[in-house]
Amino acid sequence: MTRPWSSIVVTAFAVLLLGVRTPASAFPVDGDQTTLPAKTELNEDAIQRPREVFRSENSGRKSYLVNLGDLAFNSPSILGGVARQAGMSCGTCHVNGAGNAKFFMPKMSTRPGNFDTTGPLFNPKADNQLLDPVRIPSLRGARYLAPYGADGRMPSLRDFVHNVIVNEFAGPEPSPVIVDAIVAYVQDIDFLPNSSLGPTGRLVGRISESERRGEALFSKPFPNDPAMSCAGCHVPSGAFVDHRQHDVGSGGLFKTPTLRNADFNAPYFHDGRFDTYDQVVAHFDKVFDLALSAQDQKDLVAYLTAVGDGMQPYEQDGAGSSLKEINDFASVLATAIPAGDKEIVSLAVDTIGGELRELTERYPDRKNTSVSGGEQERLGARAMLKEVVLMLRRIDIAVGEGRTADAAADYRNYRNLMFAAVPSTLAGAERWSLFNPAVHDRHYGALRQVMQSRNPSR
Amino acid sequence: MSGKRVASSLVMLVSAAGLLQARAAPLDEAAERYRPYMIEGIGSALAGARDLREQVAADDLAGARKAWLSARAGWERSEVFTAGFVPELDALIDAWPNADSGFHAIEARLFGAGRTDVERDTDALVAHLDDLHRKLREMPLTPQGLLDGTVRLAYEVGESKADGGESRISGTSLEDMRNNVAGIDLAYRTIFADALKATDARLADTVTASIDRLTAIVAASDLPHVDVRALRRASEELVVALQAASAKLGLNRPTLEAQSR
Repeated sequence: MTRPWSSIVVTAFAVLLLGVRTPASAFPVDGDQTTLPAKTELNEDAIQRPREVFRSENSGRKSYLVNLGDLAFNSPSILGGVARQAGMSCGTCHVNGAGNAKFFMPKMSTRPGNFDTTGPLFNPKADNQLLDPVRIPSLRGARYLAPYGADGRMPSLRDFVHNVIVNEFAGPEPSPVIVDAIVAYVQDIDFLPNSSLGPTGRLVGRISESERRGEALFSKPFPNDPAMSCAGCHVPSGAFVDHRQHDVGSGGLFKTPTLRNADFNAPYFHDGRFDTYDQVVAHFDKVFDLALSAQDQKDLVAYLTAVGDGMQPYEQDGAGSSLKEINDFASVLATAIPAGDKEIVSLAVDTIGGELRELTERYPDRKNTSVSGGEQERLGARAMLKEVVLMLRRIDIAVGEGRTADAAADYRNYRNLMFAAVPSTLAGAERWSLFNPAVHDRHYGALRQVMQSRNPSR
Repeated sequence: MSGKRVASSLVMLVSAAGLLQARAAPLDEAAERYRPYMIEGIGSALAGARDLREQVAADDLAGARKAWLSARAGWERSEVFTAGFVPELDALIDAWPNADSGFHAIEARLFGAGRTDVERDTDALVAHLDDLHRKLREMPLTPQGLLDGTVRLAYEVGESKADGGESRISGTSLEDMRNNVAGIDLAYRTIFADALKATDARLADTVTASIDRLTAIVAASDLPHVDVRALRRASEELVVALQAASAKLGLNRPTLEAQSR
């Protein structure tokens, strides 16, 4: 569904995605006729997706501005030629506001999970002639994490968003409301709750001895510079950041990254050079001469793992979660249609229509060899999703012609379908869809097999 | 409901049905005018498949690839009717992604592995296309079925091929789209254009303009230069216009999936 952007936070610490079910191997872009380099991996076939938590939903609901920002964030339309053509959006890299550890693009990445925002592909005018990718960061808790950019060069999130759209991805000058909306959306993405962390950033509850020792080590002054400690930069009471840049022996000054939810933010460091906390701790031990014992290192890793945890970090991709996101996007039409706002209506129709078309393809058609059975259910699901795509297009046409009453009537019908008939039809077809892990693996396994016939050496 | 009201309702129903029939009759004749084009399209695919069989027998990879492309072009122009009228043959001929037989099975060997050991698959393809070619002469054609197929294909053309599309191994996804649009254009002009012009000239202009836009978009130099946003918009606008046209033509609203009526 969704697509690249850039880097807001750099990382110094975190862990691998343990226990997460992913396909045997992901499915890359291939062929001679693609906009993106062959072997690009967007990880769009992932069956587990990061869970997104919104601050505004703790006690109320997301505003129009937040939903509009989420919509724009997931819209290829706001980016420039190559990204738009490839169907990429901010959400391609920042999946549900988190990172994308499997993202890889030849010529723009040096390893999965990083991306060169000043590379040659998306905006040749911004190409610095260096392959210097930065880790794709999670945006969870971004409102606490200024300044922005891996090197912390931008104090303003608004300026950062504008720069990503216009300079890094060669998009057209965005309207102020779109930039405001994206900022509102990013600022609404919360950290996942972590019951092991107290309000001051201390570990609470049932803490292991190793974690307790690690917490003490974290605040212990460095042997060769008593003014320094891990906690001196990763301030526990302040989201584990100090809003400053430091040279930690990785090749320059980089912003202190948060440790909150960092278990799910690998790879680590500004360029994603490390896969695990063990490697990160070993690096600091070496660069700052910390003389850590093997047990000390284990204790620090245990502490970081406890701090970096989060409740239910992933959710199974399914029709329910897709429809919830689509319905949130579509809610902007309730405001934009009566206002006759052609720009927002078109943006919504194009983006939601794209999402619905992708959802349609999760229900294989008759000619797909990967699934048998449930043909009528699959065809019913496909037909209904196509029908709602066309209802949206009729809304776009009507608003474009100034017929807002017709558009409003179509929108009411659309909402009725999306909240009743569509969910039940999709639920009835789910077992034959790509949301079923067995069907999913057969389908992508088959595609991989076909592509391997083209590249038998792989 | 009283007997009188039932009778008057029935009279209205019969009148409406008669009206639909009266409107549909010229469309039936137009559908028959389309039959030679169907036969020609599948005939072209069949000729390509037979040529492919000869090239494969001669172990000529370049010739086999050329013949496959020729067969494929005829098939793609015919997709207006294949899914709706001959779904079983359609599934055998065009199964995807890792089919045991059909175009894509052969494509993977010829264009992927660079091998010509596809005799069995080519024989099966020739047999299926031959079977279809013969059936086309006698197959009952309905304007409704042909409108359904035209609409389904118009929607399908708007799907993103950013990942390389269905024919990513042979790299012919853009050519597939061009042939699809040509097939839509031919079916619309041959069967529906005159009737729609007579009942709603403005709507007929909208349909024609949408087809022209699609034609211009897929005339791009290569797949990466196809404006995907404009393509999808034009595809959906065409479907919306054809849905509106169905009522004007005395037909039912088109289905969006084969066999879902």
